[in-house]
Amino acid sequence: MNADVIIKKKSLLRIYLENIKKYWMLYIMILPGVAFYIIFKYIPLFGSVIAFQDYQIFKGILNSPWVWFENFKFIFSYQDFYHVLRNTAIIAFYQLIFGFPAPIILALLFNEIRRMFFKRTVQTLFYLPHFLSWVVVGGIVFELLATGGIVNSIRGIFGAEPILFIQEENYFRTIVVISGIWKGVGWGTIIYLAAITAINPSLYEAAVIDGANRWKQIRYITLPLLFPTILVLFLLNIGNFLELGFDQIFNLLTPMTYSVGDIIETYVYRAGVLQGQFSVTTAIGLFQSIVGFILLYIFNRLARKSEQGLW
Amino acid sequence: MKKSWGEKCFQIFNYTFLTVVAATMILPLLQLLAVSFSSPIPAESKKVFLFPVEFTLGTWKHLLQNEVLWRSFGVTIFITVVGTILSMLFTVLTAFPLSRREFLLKKPIMFAIVITMIFNAPMIPYFLTVRELGLMDSIWALIIPGLISTFNMIILRTFFMGIPSDIDDAAKIDGCNDFRLLFQIYLPLSKPVLATIGLFYAVGYWNSFQAAVLFLRDQTLWPLQMRLRGFFESPEALADVNLVMGDYDFNTITLKAATIIFATVPIVLVYPFLQKYFVKGAVLGSLKE
Repeated sequence: MNADVIIKKKSLLRIYLENIKKYWMLYIMILPGVAFYIIFKYIPLFGSVIAFQDYQIFKGILNSPWVWFENFKFIFSYQDFYHVLRNTAIIAFYQLIFGFPAPIILALLFNEIRRMFFKRTVQTLFYLPHFLSWVVVGGIVFELLATGGIVNSIRGIFGAEPILFIQEENYFRTIVVISGIWKGVGWGTIIYLAAITAINPSLYEAAVIDGANRWKQIRYITLPLLFPTILVLFLLNIGNFLELGFDQIFNLLTPMTYSVGDIIETYVYRAGVLQGQFSVTTAIGLFQSIVGFILLYIFNRLARKSEQGLW
Repeated sequence: MKKSWGEKCFQIFNYTFLTVVAATMILPLLQLLAVSFSSPIPAESKKVFLFPVEFTLGTWKHLLQNEVLWRSFGVTIFITVVGTILSMLFTVLTAFPLSRREFLLKKPIMFAIVITMIFNAPMIPYFLTVRELGLMDSIWALIIPGLISTFNMIILRTFFMGIPSDIDDAAKIDGCNDFRLLFQIYLPLSKPVLATIGLFYAVGYWNSFQAAVLFLRDQTLWPLQMRLRGFFESPEALADVNLVMGDYDFNTITLKAATIIFATVPIVLVYPFLQKYFVKGAVLGSLKE
């Protein structure tokens, strides 16, 4: 091709200059966005170097003394760190085991509903909690689980003593997982329902002719075809494995449940933002990001063996 | 085809199960609504279920006279309206060039943006950056650091890429530049997806909490969600009368219920109007590259 030869002859710089000259408007358009990503994503990312410093607020990053791995040595010898890491990992694991499959199962249940009016109404109701803030959901949870709340009233009918669930260590993680599912499950189905809609109906017709019942249709058609979507969402989930969401935990946590519910994000907020231990808490945050990335890398490798990785 | 016994059982279970769970999604809100219109004594003894007991407007009268609450309402309205508009503008202006084949920096910039989805900066450097910018104790701290949601940007970009390029060719021949192409041709064609991400942004701003926790020490700037949280921690803040002494037709329980409703209903009301768009929109942007 003639055009290709011409392009190869030009230097890279000239190609860019000509592109800028010809499409300068696109370059102007993207400036605000690029500035946003540099300032609020990349500067903080590079600002993470304070994990290797003894950062002092008045000296700033440039003048604070470098201590290299001292902060990391400190956190690995620090009781609180293991404690918070453990809580984070356990809750994250529960959320993955119970929270991740929930919208898939719900989407399959929705899909078995044939009455359109019922389906639409129920779906709308399931989407509703997504629009509530965690402050509000926290308030509702506290209300439902209070000593005079509905849950305890029902237990009272069976003669059980009221329990203040939200302040009991034994129930905290259960409450986190269930409230998380309650708030997010309906919204989470959207993507799976779309994937199900995209499945070719003739596959089901063929299966019915072959005598497949509904369960077999799910088992041999819907689930296998849903698998790529599930895998991609799983990988995205794994990358943020230790990021549980500040709002949820912060709004459910009480001093009584710190021992089981204090996670990396709430701890970093208290020790870092409130008490000013910037370098140590950044080291903890960096550790969290690195674990997330390593997990993503490992699982992506595994997923690629079935040719379905994120990259 | 005849249904087997097992399938019938499953259908009955399925309908019942979905009805019951769906009910748990709406009943707590309806109950809070009922409590907010009830008298303190039945509310206190948990007698209110779905209908107010000893109906009274006392709670709402007291609540709606609270200037602090209205102030927070104003803050929330401001960040929701101004924030959503600015976010849409930034998102549109970023997504459009990234959707153009002829834009040479498309791939590197897109790559740099996707990296930020995988590597989140830790909270403290983020906090320090916003602080260095002088945004502490400023209402803009609730807007500017969150202007672009990468997820929403990718949704929009995917939609733009799906618009047939014949349209641009025709427009360009008629002398349309890139700005006019975007604002006069692409945006009108993108109404459903714009409504979707607009709703996502509005909900995000309305419910924004973490930014306020991090950046606002000054209580006069608290948005509704922060005010609500503060009220849960010390109910006296909204009652500001000695409730033990006097004979009032409200108490902290009915006030708490009314405040939750007050902080929730406006944004929930927006969603039925946009519902027809968002399912489609959310799916569009899902995971395509």
